[in-house]
Amino acid sequence: MRETQSTQNGATELREQLPVIRARNVGKLFGESKALAALDLDVFPGECVGLLGPNGAGKSTFIGCLYGAVLRSEGELSVFGHDPAKHARLIKQRIGVVPQENALDEGLTVRENMQVYARFGGIGKEAALPRIDELLAHMSLDHKRDSPIKALSGGMKRRLAFVRALLADPEVLILDEPTTGLDPTVRHLLWEKVLAYRQAGKTVLLTTHYMHEAELLCDRIVILNRGTVVDAGAPRELIAQHAPGFVGIFAKEDKERLRAQLSSGLELYQQGWQVCVRGPSLQALTDVQSASSTVALQLRPANLEDVYLKLTGQDLGDNE
Amino acid sequence: MSELSISLQLAWHVVVRNWIVYRKDFLANISPTLADPALMLTALGLGLSPFIGQINGLSYAQYLAPGMVATTALFTAFFECSYGFYVRMTYESVFKAMLTTPIGVREVVIGEFLWVFIRAGLMALCVGVVLLFMGLIANPVALLLFPLIGGFLAVPCGAIGLLAASYVKNINQFQTVYSFLIAPIFYLSGVFFPLADRPVLAIIAQISPFYHGVRLLQMSAWNAWTPGEIAYHIGALAVFSASLGWWSYVSIRKKLTT
Repeated sequence: MRETQSTQNGATELREQLPVIRARNVGKLFGESKALAALDLDVFPGECVGLLGPNGAGKSTFIGCLYGAVLRSEGELSVFGHDPAKHARLIKQRIGVVPQENALDEGLTVRENMQVYARFGGIGKEAALPRIDELLAHMSLDHKRDSPIKALSGGMKRRLAFVRALLADPEVLILDEPTTGLDPTVRHLLWEKVLAYRQAGKTVLLTTHYMHEAELLCDRIVILNRGTVVDAGAPRELIAQHAPGFVGIFAKEDKERLRAQLSSGLELYQQGWQVCVRGPSLQALTDVQSASSTVALQLRPANLEDVYLKLTGQDLGDNE
Repeated sequence: MSELSISLQLAWHVVVRNWIVYRKDFLANISPTLADPALMLTALGLGLSPFIGQINGLSYAQYLAPGMVATTALFTAFFECSYGFYVRMTYESVFKAMLTTPIGVREVVIGEFLWVFIRAGLMALCVGVVLLFMGLIANPVALLLFPLIGGFLAVPCGAIGLLAASYVKNINQFQTVYSFLIAPIFYLSGVFFPLADRPVLAIIAQISPFYHGVRLLQMSAWNAWTPGEIAYHIGALAVFSASLGWWSYVSIRKKLTT
């Protein structure tokens, strides 16, 4: 894991503070299967860290460990210096969580839901209503204040789950797949809110399947596979390390023609239904394209998705 | 603040949450707990009384009356903590969000017990008032005891409900729990006939928390107190509450954390 270390050295100003979340060798067994194995992770104050990984990689399990909903089987874990298996409440007083499921009280109105949760978060009656109304307005939900949850769209419910997480003004926001299944408008709204929250110096830990979201929001990406960290670093660093340059995406049928024209410095690999060529520059890719008389479906800078597919073993490599 | 007072305060918030949800559908929620005992009393008590001689100097309706208070407490607590809790846990995922707040499993369970204590207590009072108007209670002071005993009785009955909620594999299995556990407890704990002449049943009934609550309610409604017996039934209820309460907490904790 040399890369991880060099990445960590790169961000020294953060490392001078104590981590908010510190995991060492954390493991979780579900019967025989290992949901987490020897997981090491630090999240520092003011950082936004994104957990990426295939379904079942252990992202949600790890998040559950942070506030005591999942009890780890081994390793050390601390949040604000507290062990979540022993002092979950001390941790939960200072975090806000948007779980994968919204889990709102369907029978209650928007405001009633938030009033119940304000109480849980220890907010007094007088302080609760203005706080709720402020956050509802912040998430453009004020016109739905008295609607029952049943009457809300999926995007509205998700925004309300954000309001709920922010009620007690948490220091750390934990988002488990915050924008899955939402339309682009709502997604952009939520990104804006997360960025604003970060600007206030707060800490965010999120899981996502959207590489664009991770690249946009996160200072640091942690890629998980089979319950452990495969690599971590700033999005650009990860791209520079694992998939530098540009990528051309071609139809599968073009594979042999492309291979015939492949010059040095270019890499050809198959990725599911498509064939990819990665090279140092856009020029190198257009050269290959004209030499093989093919037309790329897409020519673009390499991105986090290329890194993700490579590291999680889902590029079914042609040169392996 | 001490750990315990924080815990109790958080548990109280769970009670408030349940109340807010409950009052939304107040009439539907309150109907079975009041209608069932009233119907039973009319059909069995008033209907059968003329055919049945006196039991320990009481008409059959008078005999039956305190059992109706106990029945209300049993059903309120059992259904709330079995079906009610299961639906909240499984279909509504209420705890997935609740447990991300300062509320922990301990507060969830304490909150459930407080909630059924209060609900069953209030229901016991309501049934008691009806009984008073029907002239079926010898001792009006008993009316003050009904909510206390009813609430106290609701704790072990609620714990059985929570245990069922933590062990069933799907919602239909509550039927089995009802048929083989709750129904026998209900029918064979001295509500409908005195156990004194049925030595075997009388012994088995001792292991049912419901029986001890029934006896306490009967003693207060009939104004027929035996000091030793009072202490015995209160003690037994306390032991059942503590042991079943703890067992249900451990089972629910397993269910809500992984």
